[in-house]
Amino acid sequence: MLPARFSAGLILPQPRLPDPADPVATELTVEAAVQPAPGETLRVELLVTEDAEVAQGQPLMRLKTAPGIALVAPMAARVARIDLQPGRRLSQLVLFHEAGGARHAFDTRGAEGDPARLRALLQDSGLWRMIRSRPFGRMPAPDEAPAAILVMGRDTRPGAPDPALAVKGREEDLARGLSALASLTAGPLLYAGPGAPAPARPIATGPLHPQGLAGPVLHRHFPARTGAPVWDLTAEDAADIGALLATGFLPPTRLIAITGEALRSPALVRCQPGADLRGLTRARVLPGPHDLLSGSALDGGPALWLGSRDRQVTALPRAQRPAGRHWFRAALDRAARHAPIIPTAALDQALGGDLPAAALVRALAAGDAEGLIRLGGLSLLEEDLALADYATGSDQRLARQLRALLDRIAAEEGLA
Amino acid sequence: MKQGLWDRETVALLLLAALLPMLLAWLWDGGLTAAGRLGFTLVVSGFWHLAFMLIRAQPPSFAGVLTALAVAMLAPEDLSLLQLILGISFGSVIAELVFGGWGRNVLNPATVTLAFLGFGFPAAPWPDLSLPIGWAAIPALALGVLFGVMALRLVLGAVLALALCLWAGVPLAPLLPVAGIVLALLVSDPVASASTKLGGWLNGALYGLLLALFAAHWQGAAPVQMAVSAALLASLAAPLLDEIALALWILRRRMRHG
Repeated sequence: MLPARFSAGLILPQPRLPDPADPVATELTVEAAVQPAPGETLRVELLVTEDAEVAQGQPLMRLKTAPGIALVAPMAARVARIDLQPGRRLSQLVLFHEAGGARHAFDTRGAEGDPARLRALLQDSGLWRMIRSRPFGRMPAPDEAPAAILVMGRDTRPGAPDPALAVKGREEDLARGLSALASLTAGPLLYAGPGAPAPARPIATGPLHPQGLAGPVLHRHFPARTGAPVWDLTAEDAADIGALLATGFLPPTRLIAITGEALRSPALVRCQPGADLRGLTRARVLPGPHDLLSGSALDGGPALWLGSRDRQVTALPRAQRPAGRHWFRAALDRAARHAPIIPTAALDQALGGDLPAAALVRALAAGDAEGLIRLGGLSLLEEDLALADYATGSDQRLARQLRALLDRIAAEEGLA
Repeated sequence: MKQGLWDRETVALLLLAALLPMLLAWLWDGGLTAAGRLGFTLVVSGFWHLAFMLIRAQPPSFAGVLTALAVAMLAPEDLSLLQLILGISFGSVIAELVFGGWGRNVLNPATVTLAFLGFGFPAAPWPDLSLPIGWAAIPALALGVLFGVMALRLVLGAVLALALCLWAGVPLAPLLPVAGIVLALLVSDPVASASTKLGGWLNGALYGLLLALFAAHWQGAAPVQMAVSAALLASLAAPLLDEIALALWILRRRMRHG
């Protein structure tokens, strides 16, 4: 289809990435942290104390509301600091790498044939956190039954590492992980991207961002609803599940891309989850002030540590505050009501070309929950609107409006 | 973290850039009179944007220039200054600024101004636009579509409908230059036209069909008058067409996904 390949108005600069044929170095940073995702609240029961030595994959804490779900150590390490907020809410748990540390072995017996045991294993090994449940984009509840599971073998974010590269040479793990995932749902197991292994149903995606994000794919092929949640995870996570089932050990690294204008050269590396962004970029940045984002330049946010689902680190030169901004311009920017978004071809493309863009923007701006649900907005999350926010450059961020509306719908449904 | 540039003012400026071929052709044709007329409409339109900025803290927009341009080109001739001021004020304020500025309006303020002037002062003769301006509408529409600020489906819908009616023997030929000019100036305004895919096709086709209807049955009307009336009706129907397109889209999704 022509509109899927070409659209007037929006050309997204693609950061250069190293040749995928080159060998990818493994770089474990000295520090790493376990932390909640942005907007997520984790009330935890600690299993370790500060200064304890932990093995890679060892459970560090369990959720108070769901003791089956554990957060595990991303590397063999010594616990450096535990920051909790009132109510035992996790702020961060910082780890120092210990060379030559042990790996925690999980008991995987019988997990492959028994969905209940598989579920318990995933929750105990921390891989449960890699799964995202739509609507609302949270970690799934311990007993949640998904209507479908989508595995993303494609990522069209600018500068994202190719998921096919992440699972290259791990075909067996991936197939095993997919078979295991298929046992968790009564519905279909979908695989978006090239070369879907056996039990999964292949789904073709367009090449233009955001057509390779889980949100637009689900919106088109299997919309999520409040009664029928849909899970999504990346192909690498599915392969990790397979590896865990095969060996009993949690894979220690993931493939990430380090890009951005503040770098001397972009890089593909394998590092641990929750890696220290300064450690990853220190040897690569250009001199001068810069900001480090976990995630792409579109949907990432300033962070110290790699986010739990992020596969990208972006280093951007720090934006210079314009020195003498004219008072008139400043006053206009602070108008009570921001300039509205005009429907253009750029906006259409930024929303994937499939959605009625103007109607969605209107529903979001008006806080119209019913309108959003009618348009299939329950399949979407903040990252799916990040490109539209980038394109329109508007002060009223669509992603923020969507989050507020989703939270309200969740509260009305009694799921908050 | 990074910001693109498709905010409201960029879109307005790109629309303006797309209309430049027509503007230049019109100025070349009309000379000093045309330039004076444009200056006057710019001042009146700018005054109201300024007034709303000072009183309502509503940021002004370059869309005011678009309104002024369309009114200067299409408004009836021989109107007194007071009549022109009255028309532009009505169009700008009632059709655009009271809704919160460009982007929140329902109808194109220039369309409303022209309809107001046409119905209010029917004795004033409508302008006779020369052929080069009509030809200039083609690059204007092409640029708008290329920039992505005008909808290709809307333009194609209108062209298809006009071609079909022409083929069916409706005496449309003398209307075509004006049809193109009004299509570029008024109908393909991204805010006041239908925004859905099917809605865009229908909106363009409706404009073409209305024009054909007027050409066949409206005795004694000037080409600009017919085109502006068709633009007004097509623009009024745009929300309805969008609603139809959305309902069909949702129905199709429901059938596919249950």
